Formats: sequence, structure tokens, C-alpha cells
Amino acid sequence: MSAMMRRTAPARRRGFALALALGLSACGSSGSSTSPSPSSESISASGIQTPATEALSGGRRGGTLTVLNHEDFEHLDPGEAYFSVDYEASYATQRPLFSYEPNSVTPIPDMASGPAVISSDGKTITVHIRHGVHFSPPVNREVTSADVAYAIERGANPNVANPYFEAYFTSLEGSAKARGGPFPGITTPDSDTIVFHLTKPNAQIVLDALALPLSAPVPEAFAKKYDAKSPTEYGNYLVATGPYMFKSNGEGKVLGIGYQPGKSATLVRNPNWRSSTDFRPAYLDEIDIKIGGDTNVIGRQVLEGSELVQNDAVAKSSVQLAYEHFRSQLQISPGAGDHYIAVNNKRGPFANVNVRKAFWAALDRVAMGKARGGSLVTDVMTHFLFPEIPGFEAAGGLAGPKVDYDEHPEGDPAIAEKYMRMAGYPSGKYTGAQTLEVVGSTGDPSSEVAEIANNTLHSLGFKTKLSLVDTSVMYSKYCGVPAEQIDVCPNVGWGADFADGQAVLDPAFNGRNILPTGNNNWGQVDDPTINAAMDKAELIIGTQARANAWAAIDRELVADAAAIPSDWDKEAAIESKDVAGVGDLWNTGTWDYSFSSLK
Amino acid sequence: MTSYIVRRLLWGVVLLVLVSALTFLLFRVLPTGEPARLRAGRFASPKVIAEIRNDLGLNKPLIVQFWLYMKGIFLHLNLGYSYYSSASVRSLIADRLPATLSLTIGAAVIWLGAGITVGVISAVRRRSKLDRASMGWALALISAPEYWLGLIVLYLFAADIGKLKVFPGAGSYVGLTSDPWGWFTSLILPWLVLAATNAAIYARLIRGSMIEVMGEDYIRTARAKGLSERRVVLRHGLRSAINPVMTILGLDIGVLLGGAILVETVFDIPGIGRLNYDAITHSDFPIVQGTVLLAALFIIVANIVVDIAYAYLDPRVRFS
Repeated sequence: MSAMMRRTAPARRRGFALALALGLSACGSSGSSTSPSPSSESISASGIQTPATEALSGGRRGGTLTVLNHEDFEHLDPGEAYFSVDYEASYATQRPLFSYEPNSVTPIPDMASGPAVISSDGKTITVHIRHGVHFSPPVNREVTSADVAYAIERGANPNVANPYFEAYFTSLEGSAKARGGPFPGITTPDSDTIVFHLTKPNAQIVLDALALPLSAPVPEAFAKKYDAKSPTEYGNYLVATGPYMFKSNGEGKVLGIGYQPGKSATLVRNPNWRSSTDFRPAYLDEIDIKIGGDTNVIGRQVLEGSELVQNDAVAKSSVQLAYEHFRSQLQISPGAGDHYIAVNNKRGPFANVNVRKAFWAALDRVAMGKARGGSLVTDVMTHFLFPEIPGFEAAGGLAGPKVDYDEHPEGDPAIAEKYMRMAGYPSGKYTGAQTLEVVGSTGDPSSEVAEIANNTLHSLGFKTKLSLVDTSVMYSKYCGVPAEQIDVCPNVGWGADFADGQAVLDPAFNGRNILPTGNNNWGQVDDPTINAAMDKAELIIGTQARANAWAAIDRELVADAAAIPSDWDKEAAIESKDVAGVGDLWNTGTWDYSFSSLK
Repeated sequence: MTSYIVRRLLWGVVLLVLVSALTFLLFRVLPTGEPARLRAGRFASPKVIAEIRNDLGLNKPLIVQFWLYMKGIFLHLNLGYSYYSSASVRSLIADRLPATLSLTIGAAVIWLGAGITVGVISAVRRRSKLDRASMGWALALISAPEYWLGLIVLYLFAADIGKLKVFPGAGSYVGLTSDPWGWFTSLILPWLVLAATNAAIYARLIRGSMIEVMGEDYIRTARAKGLSERRVVLRHGLRSAINPVMTILGLDIGVLLGGAILVETVFDIPGIGRLNYDAITHSDFPIVQGTVLLAALFIIVANIVVDIAYAYLDPRVRFS
């Protein structure tokens, strides 16, 4: 199992942090001390929507929804898309083999005609393709299994450089040498069937990955000339299989027609889409996406306007405004990822498990959550699987495991001192000579969070050297490079590609995933017992058994205090009063264009 | 005069070459600036990054890369390819330039008009209530951050979220050719916000300069010759006093044509500033590089124009 997974929520949070950096300086309001703070359980009761409770049917047909997004798409090409904003359009215009109903994190057949069949040895996956699905103009013909095969094969084309191909598809036979053309791991015995041949029995994770946009069919004859360019230009000449398509000209050109980079995008109905082949109701006639603008202004425009939604990170001031005055227009989605503090398990003081437990006990996680917007958009993190991931409840749920260093989320100096003494510091404070290297990221709220962590370290007796750098620099130059020997990274976080314990825990805590650069196991956690348990759990097929196995690993990580938890994220989304928005639980609560409608 | 202009133009070209070289180097030495990694995305494997490095010619010696880069810019106007928009930087800049030109030129007209008028009146009626009120307002506007002022103006006057629904709000910008009236009305608030700070600065500058000039001997001589006060102030006073303003006007316009990031962001105007802002957010360095070069070009050109205008306004420059 490779170590690369989409940081979905943090990608969305990037915009959030930016919005706050701009917004708070301007408004001087909405500081954390004034943030509303209902408990997670009381969200539904307080009139706020959640994706799990929204009606999926009965919407009004027709109309144009206008989307005000601060952030632009990163990629329209389903082979490149790897960002929650990209997914909003990808899943409305493309049909992967499997996808999701908005209120669920369990994949259901989409381009597939039924559930996949996994062989008894777990090394072969057979999927049958749905009949009657056609590509949008100018291709127009019916989709075959060869189109799905090409879509996945092109993920290995360096011009496409799919970001998760190596994470999930390297167990396909011959994938190591694949460059975008056919390879033995994918065969299509007939036009309705695609078979995946694996070198090891990890069928479950491959199957999970077939719900990602990469498996959405791509017609080779149409796309090949664009895929020959570096980088591919297929994203500028898209064809669709979903209910909507980017507005395009007769050649399928989208760039400059249905998509103006940094300005706007327009989704219109796909004339070749047939509702009888799809579970999406597709109420709207058109979706106009306006890109850019300030998140504070967008928030007000949406809440006070008509037929509008915001579908990227909502400014903290807008969340507060919505909570206080427009509560029915606010949606809060759980399971949007986590934030934690990575501590160096390999060297320095944090190689000692008791020092890690002391840090855990001392940290004020409530203050960390307040810095991020309060309990409306965060829950105190008590272990490593997050809400909506199978195994979360078995691993302790929101309350968390019963260990004394987790008992007091506001921080407990007495317990911290107890563990420091157990670590060999009789005074209960660190007395060593080392100055800790702490690297966090700039901007609000990251810098505030880093300061809280830094102050906690001081309270334990540590001397620190805190450096705050750009988030991408933090990952690419410091926290993701073990040779830099960073002791503490207070601003790391994770969002899973899909609801599976492996997608959350394996990249960040499996010792086999420690890489010299681009490392996502930031704490260099390398416990042979945990590694072996993960290797075993990876091969389990079946939801409940997998959930239990990953929950057990989660408990091991807590016992090992492998990292210091901070908060689980919930994502806010807002809509105008005359919009019946339906949020995607599986995509950090973003509004689903195929299910949302106008009232 | 001709040799003076030619000299200024040649220096401009040298400066552009230097700025291009600097952006090339920055692009390659910044921690996040490795083009192959940026193109490949954050999660790409070393294998994919290596292949992209090869495709982009990054394995060639730095000096060869530099030569190809400079050749691309100066011979083919090739500014590279955006990693995020999958479009050429040149086309993206060309797409955004009209909005920035509209914003900057309109605002410059307002701030010059307002700044000069208020500055002259304040200087002529020095220490009057009008002077104190004008300079007080100027100080307040100088102190007001553009971003904050933009939000306040929107919350007060925007048609969608304002208390008084007067002018089109954020996101209403349309191109001049597609809807001239819509273009004009959508830019009223951004023009006012962008002009406010500059008008205040120019007013204070003009006032100070005018007070100094109006004390000169030749002004006394002009009055002694019986010229009207209006003629003395505008023809003899303002013409001299405006020289320092012309100098900073060139710089200000040059900088703003490189992108008025805050105003474009608050009012959702798809101009160069927002293009640059988005590019910085995504570490899309080819665009940053392109907009930096564009800003440098505008500043250089604006300065040359100002120098020529300066020579026209002040005969001493011509003769020297």
C-alpha cells in the first residue's frame, strides 16, 4: 500500500484559512471567542441541515442554480481531479464505476450495472458495465468497458499523472510499467465486462478506489490526441456521461466556452443522458458557477440573495452570520477530516511514548478547536479514525478511548507531569538539553494553533524553535522530509479519499510508508506490531470485519500515542432561502448539483 | 530629446531582461518552485516527477534552460503554461488585461481629478475650515485599507447586499464591448474605492507642492504684472506644482496595471491582480512569473511616459 491519499478536507480548508486571513482583518468580528458552539449532537435539533437528513427526492424540476465559489477548479479532467471543488463537477458530469448517494459514504453501482464480483482468492475483480449510457456530444456513442479501461490506464500516463494511481492501482498486474496504454492488470473480455487482475489479494481497497473519478469512462479515440500533449489537454475538450456536461462547442471544447479559468463555468444538461440509467434526479436545468471574489462578500450574497449557493470553504464570519440569522440555510457536514500534531516517534524526546502521552494530556484541544471556529465546525479529536469512517464507533466514537491522558480535553497538567516522571523526568518537566524544532504553517487559524501547541511544549519544560512557513513548504520541505529531523509539526491534517480505515490510518501511521521526500507519515511512526496489523487488515474483504480490524489498529495507535490529536472537522455550507440544497456526506458536505433543486 | 527617449527605452529593455532573469532564478530556487513537482501535483511519485522533469527539459543545464526561457519570452512572447488552468499564460493574461485596464484607468482619472482639485483649493485657502476638513478626510482615507473600504462600500451601496441598494455589487463586472452601461455601473464602486486612497495622497501632495510654489518669486511677479488669480494659480502655480505628482502617477499606474489585487478580489473583478492572487495561492509560478514581467513592463513604460511628460512640463529637463 502506497502512502498517497487525497487530503480532501485540508484542500478545502486551504481556502478557508485564506478566507479567514482576509476576512477577520477586515471585519474585526467573528473571533473564536464569539463563535457559536452547539454540540455535534444538537446540530440537527437546532435547525441546521446535515447531509444525512436531507430529502433526496421531491425536488422541483428546472431552473438555474448560481454557484458563487471563491476557489477555482484545479482540474476538470476526471483523470486529474483530486479536490473537493473538482469533484462537485466531476460527479455531476462523469459516471465512475461506483459512486455515492449524497447521504451516504457507501459506494453504489453507477457506471457498473451491479456490485463487483471479487474472486475467492481476493485477486480478481469483475465489474459489468451498465447498458444505455452514452457519451455527450460530439462522441455520442454508447459507453463500453474499453472506455473504462482506457480511463484507468491513462492514469499511468505521465501527461495525466493521476495523483492516486500509485496509491491504489499498483497491485494491478503490470501497472509498474504502464505508461497510459493497456497492461495485463485490466482486461475487457467483452464490451460489457471489465476485469481487474491483482498481484495480491487487496481487492477491497482497489474496489473502493473504483468510486473515484478515474474510473469514469473516457473515449480513447477522442481523448488520445489530447493525452499525447504534456500536460494532457483532455480537460479542455471534455465529454460527459453524467446528467450534466460543461457547455462546449461542436468539437467538445470546453476551455473558453463552458469554462473560463478563474472566472466562470457553466454546466448544462447532457442531451444524451437518460434518467432510466441513473439514480440521480438531476432537477436543475443549468448550473452557473462564478469563480472568485471575497468569501465574506460571497457569504452575504448567498444568505441574503436568491437561487445561490456557495460550494467551497465558507468564511468563519459567514458561518456565524448563518448560524445567528439564517439557520435553515446552513448545513454542517461531519467527517470532513482531522487535524493533529505529528511528533517525531523516531528520534528526540518524543521517541519516548510517555513524553508523547504527556504532550497529549497537556494539550488544550478545546482551545485548538476554538481557534478553528469552535464546536460548530470542529469536534474534539480523541482518536485517529474520524466520524463517518467505518470503525469510528468501535474505536471509541466521539467520547474516545478510556485513557487518562485523553480524559481532559482542556489539558491536565497533573496527568502530563505524571507521564513526564514516567519518562524519566522526576520534576515532571523536561530537563534535557535539546531544543525542539517545531514547524507549522502561516495564516489564520494555523499560526494560532501552532502557538497553542508551542506554549503547551513550554509548559512541559521544552525549549522550542518555532518556524511558521507556507503550508505547501511545511509539507514539501520540512514535515514531509524525515532527513530534516523536525520534532513537532502542529498543523498537519488528513481527509480520506473514501470511507475506509485504511485510507485514514495506513498512509499516516504505517512505517512502510515512510519516504525520503513527500512523506505523509509525518511522525515517522514505525511500530512493527502496528505495521503487521495494517498489512493484515488491508487484505480483509467485507465492511464489518474491516471496520473492526481498523478500529483495533486505532486503539493501538492511541495506546502508543503515535500522534497528538487536535480536532475532527465538520464543514459548513450555505444556500439561499429558495434553494433546496443537498450536500454530499462523502465529499465534505459540498452541494450535489445532481440532487439539489430550487424551491 | 530623441536621444533621451532612445536612451530611456534601451534602459527599459535592459531592466526587463534583468527582471526576467530574476523571476527565472526565483522560480527554480524557491522551496516550492520545482516545476515538475508543481506540474505533477502534491501526491505524485518520484517516478512521475522524474518523467515530467524530462518532458519539461529540466534535466538540461541551467544555462540552456535559461536561454530557452529567454528566447521563448523575447522571440515568441511565450510565457509558459499554467499548471492549474491548463492554458497558456499569455492567453490568460490577455483575457484578464481589459478588466485591469478598465479599473486602473477609470480610477486614475477620478483620483487625479479629485486629488488635484482638492489639493489646489486647500493650498489656495490654506488654514481655512475647508482646508482642514479636506485634509482631515484625506488623512482618514489614506488610513483606510482598500480591502476594508471595499467591504464597507459594498455593505452600504451594493445592489445585492447593501443597505442602500444603489450600485451593482461584487461579481457584476461585464466587459466594455458586451455591455457598455453594465461595464460602467459595475465599476463605479471599485473605481471609487481604488481612487479614494490615491486621491487623498495626491491631494496632500499637491497642496504641499502648491504652497511651496505659490511662495516663489515668479508667482509674485505674475501677480505684480496684473494677471488674474485664477491664471496665476492654474497656469503658473499648478504647472510647476504638478511635477512631483506626475512622477508618482507613473509608478502608481504601472503598479496597478500589474494588478490591484485587493480591489479586484473584493469586487470579484477578473483582472490581473486576481489572476496573480489565485496563482500565488496555488503556487502556479508560470502565471506569477508572467504577471511579474507584465507589472515590470508597465512600470517601465509608465516611467518612460512620465519622463517624457515631465520634460514637456518642465523645460529645464529638456534643456539638460
